[in-house]
Amino acid sequence: MSSNKPVVCPVCGAQIRKNGYCSFCYMHIDIIKKAYNTSNYYYNIGYDKAVARDLSGAIESLNMSLRYNKKNVMTRNLLGLIYYEMGEIVMALSHWVMSVNYKSSGNLATKYLKELRSNPTTLAVVDQIAVKYNMALNYAKRDDMDLAIIQLKNLLSTNGHFVKGYLLLALLYINFGNYEKARVTLRRVLKIDKANPLAIHYLHEMGNTDTDIIQMRDDESVEDDGLLDEEYIEENTFRRNTSLMDEDPADKKSNPIKDFYEKCKNTLLKKKVVGDIGFAKYSGVYVLVGMVLGAMILGFVLLPAQRKSLRTENEKIIKTYSEEIAVKETTITSLDAQVSDLNRQIARLEANNSDDVNPLPDYSYITNGMTDEDIQNMIDNE
Amino acid sequence: MINFEEELKRFQPIPEVNQAEEAIYNNDLKDISDIVMVVTAEMKNSAMGTTNPVTGRIG
Repeated sequence: MSSNKPVVCPVCGAQIRKNGYCSFCYMHIDIIKKAYNTSNYYYNIGYDKAVARDLSGAIESLNMSLRYNKKNVMTRNLLGLIYYEMGEIVMALSHWVMSVNYKSSGNLATKYLKELRSNPTTLAVVDQIAVKYNMALNYAKRDDMDLAIIQLKNLLSTNGHFVKGYLLLALLYINFGNYEKARVTLRRVLKIDKANPLAIHYLHEMGNTDTDIIQMRDDESVEDDGLLDEEYIEENTFRRNTSLMDEDPADKKSNPIKDFYEKCKNTLLKKKVVGDIGFAKYSGVYVLVGMVLGAMILGFVLLPAQRKSLRTENEKIIKTYSEEIAVKETTITSLDAQVSDLNRQIARLEANNSDDVNPLPDYSYITNGMTDEDIQNMIDNE
Repeated sequence: MINFEEELKRFQPIPEVNQAEEAIYNNDLKDISDIVMVVTAEMKNSAMGTTNPVTGRIG
């Protein structure tokens, strides 16, 4: 109040009077400051819990922070990141959108939203996860447990950090009496959210002590439990290496909030590259691509070669027949020539015959008056 | 002992992407400033003609 610059109410933007009350909303500036300080206090608690991977506890503290100041952009952004980490992308989106609504410039939520929007596939995958989860929940409520388990396994292979999916799957295993698989499933929940109250409650109900739970949670090895495929395990290992728990304490002290956001941002980017690809889902596409490639090889390589060999063979046959035809034509021509020659000879002979009609001497006068017997006797005497 | 039916009731459907808008609207919670403003406005209205609910005085 000492400077000449008027103090503006952080709630409504009106001027604060000299007595400390807002001229529009009648809020005292001290109350507002106290509320904002309390909001920041709960934000810090939420942040510490998030760094310790107590995501459920962090959500609780951050919600409390919002109760004191709903416009706390840092709280909104962190809450969005935690929901994103737990696989609840729509909740993350809603907090980031609200954050951008309160502060549009210099807000990390703008980057997160841009990254999500730049990849429509991610949003489609997210939508599929929500649809499948709701479907699995419906199956479970209708006592179609097998279908619910299949659906949950399917969606968890797409997003291995979907805590609600794991919890429902664990509950279904408990209902089946398969406590070992339920434990494995809940262990995965505790890897993501170290103090998830529902997971701990289920483990207690299955007879696990707090010491067992701590051991289970701190066990770093990721074993193939048959719950999901190898792809998930690789992703899980990769994500653990880049997780928040690997932060250097020295760096954390330097600028903890910024570092945390950078880590989370990297996780977002890496997840987009590695995590969200469900290879099993594209097997049909691979088969189709294989069929198309096969057809192309058949069309462009095999068929032309076969066609070429057929053409060569045909040409050979045609050539052989052509040669035969040529030989026969030659024969026919020569025979025609002979025929015409012979015809000419016949004609000439006929012409000669016509010139000499009676070339032999006429002995008729001798044989006149002789019987056949006389003629025979005469021949015999001769 | 875990009661499956009771536990299942804890699980609620999660919003899908096409329900994001609704989720954003529902997300607009009231903070302490909003509550104080509402209380102040009520006190102001009651002071206009009726007795103040806090002090019991008129005006």
